[in-house]
Amino acid sequence: MTATISTTPVTPTRRRRRSARLSPLLVAFVLVPFAVESVWVFWPALQGFWFSLTRWDGMSPPTFVGVDNYVEMAGDATFRGALLNTVIWLVLFGGLSVLGGFGMALVLQRERRGVGFYRAALFTPVVFSLVVTALVWRVFYQPDGIADTLLRAVGLEQLIRPWLADPQTALYAVILPALWRQIGYVMVLFLAGLKAIDPALHEAARMDGANSWQRLRHVTIPQLRGVNAVVLSVIVIDSLRSFDIVWSLTKGGPYHSSELLSTYMYSTAFQSLRLGYASAIAVVIFVLALAVILGYLVRAFREEA
Amino acid sequence: MSDFDPGRRRFLGHLGLAGLGALGASSFLSACASSASGPTTGNGSGAVTIQSNLSSPQAKAAMEKLIANFNAQGKGTASLNTIASETFRTQLPTYLTSANPPDLYTWYAGSVANDYASRNLLLDVSDVWKSLGDYPQSLRTLSTDASGKQIFVPMNNYWWGFFYRKSNFAKWGVQEPKTWTEFLALCETLKGKGVPPIGIGLGDTPWVASAWFDYLNIRINGAPFHRELLAGKQRFDDPKVKAVFTRWREALPYFDPKGKAYPFQEATTALLAGKTGMFLIGTFFADAAPKDALGDLDFFRFPIIDPAVPLAEEAPTDGFFASAKTANPTGTRALLTYLSGVEAQEAYVKASSGIVLPANPKAKASDSPLVVKGKAMLDEAKELTQFFNRDSSDALQPTADTALTKFIDKPDQIDAILREWQTSAEKVFKG
Repeated sequence: MTATISTTPVTPTRRRRRSARLSPLLVAFVLVPFAVESVWVFWPALQGFWFSLTRWDGMSPPTFVGVDNYVEMAGDATFRGALLNTVIWLVLFGGLSVLGGFGMALVLQRERRGVGFYRAALFTPVVFSLVVTALVWRVFYQPDGIADTLLRAVGLEQLIRPWLADPQTALYAVILPALWRQIGYVMVLFLAGLKAIDPALHEAARMDGANSWQRLRHVTIPQLRGVNAVVLSVIVIDSLRSFDIVWSLTKGGPYHSSELLSTYMYSTAFQSLRLGYASAIAVVIFVLALAVILGYLVRAFREEA
Repeated sequence: MSDFDPGRRRFLGHLGLAGLGALGASSFLSACASSASGPTTGNGSGAVTIQSNLSSPQAKAAMEKLIANFNAQGKGTASLNTIASETFRTQLPTYLTSANPPDLYTWYAGSVANDYASRNLLLDVSDVWKSLGDYPQSLRTLSTDASGKQIFVPMNNYWWGFFYRKSNFAKWGVQEPKTWTEFLALCETLKGKGVPPIGIGLGDTPWVASAWFDYLNIRINGAPFHRELLAGKQRFDDPKVKAVFTRWREALPYFDPKGKAYPFQEATTALLAGKTGMFLIGTFFADAAPKDALGDLDFFRFPIIDPAVPLAEEAPTDGFFASAKTANPTGTRALLTYLSGVEAQEAYVKASSGIVLPANPKAKASDSPLVVKGKAMLDEAKELTQFFNRDSSDALQPTADTALTKFIDKPDQIDAILREWQTSAEKVFKG
């Protein structure tokens, strides 16, 4: 930060001398949070990497086993299932919430009568705690619940099944409530981005004879680049850490059919008490999140440069 | 078993984790390792701290009353910490390994306690047992660790059985079955009347299925084999284990298909409403039953399959153990002596709602016909088992949940299921 200040051309000599001596306040602002983060975030995170190389039950001291946990992971069918489910989750939950959120934002961006009500309605699920959301959806899915009643009303009773207890449907039955919540959130992010676009750009495009599709494709979307980065990070992180809704609806069951990496990590750590293996799963989740987000950021920066 | 109820209480522990995200979670794991700090109360010869997972309103009130009574006696002081059950379960190893642990804990007898004892984490309470000479040998054995000293003091136990409504059985004109053949015939009769014969609640509470496994195994292969299997000394892909599932398969067509989707509390509601015929469950289910239905409830023991196998019943025992590192062993033992006495046990039974049997043989249980029948059933048994997780570990329970729910869905794949079960059990035993 000091570097940018010092390059401003006004009275360069005096500025440069001052910037050489760091203000103690500034140092404190940097070092205190860094120290706190180190103790509470960086150091435990590094320890997590170390634990992934150990076998540990949480009581006896951890024993070093090298890459055994990762070798085991390669042959673990439950882990592969959880990884696949996480990818499905990332694509469906991430993709649909971006499409849905962006669509809703486009529809609701214009100030019209009653638009505030619709925005609020779509945003309401975000306000509910996820546990409440899960309880509501559980009632929806329960045998002879609302879902079954609706299907019967339209004559589709042959489709009725135990939604959360059937391995064919459990994962998708959990994605739906997660989407129900996430779309409202993504919509708000996009609405903010859309509001920030200079109306003059649209006007100029219209003058040049661009139709509404062309304006969307060549004006709106490029202008949203900054928001896209935020949305992508939010989506990837939310997908990989999706845990509460799955745990409170199915706990990853029945027999691992809706297991995500996050729920598998939790049950490995705190039910099976295999904290070394659970740490290895945590490392994989971290690497996945980092890879997706870094990949996007690198591309975004390259385009800007 | 009522306290091992992942459904409701697991939320607390989990929500905290969910917010931490991917990397945060690994920091959470390591936080347990690097800072093994427990509550800092209960030092020196001051108050004895008792860490309790009995968090349901009646049980909590009952414990508070006991501690107040103890403090009024002037033999020492104690303070009660009631912790949400699931938090308690996940934190228990941390409590016990911390430098300054709470003194006394509510928990389960059996292999869970023995496992802690083998790590030298539990206080030797043989002194307390000297005053418990009239306790049955089965409870003494259950409270003794591998090195021969007592490390556990039982408070009460309860039983599992097939519960049903007397009025419904009368309406359907059916009787309690004694043998497996009679049981299957009863199922057939009920099915013919359009009632799903066997209720179950596996959604959110999949561990309920373990009762079926436990009972079939102790009826077919006997309690000693069952214990060895759960301790990792036998294999889940053994033909003897497969025989359990062959029997189970005979009863599978009579299970309520909706039972996969709802928890045992709703299965209770279904039973009381006459939507299922009977329900294999522990007495704690009555907590979820309205008071007026209690008088109409009755039960029968799990039917006999092989009369040559010594009769065993599931009787999970709850009680207390103490930390080996307690700063006040005298006070802790005094409190344990009080809690195992007739007065405290009767006070607990009276104040708590559950249908439980006090561990002290001199303490009077409730005189309801249900409790009298339950006590008689346990007294008749040659062997008592605890429950799947208590005879093995909470770590092994999820492997059973996976195997058993899969079997109920796909009984054809039993060989593959048992192989998978053996593999995941080995991982748990290996650590």
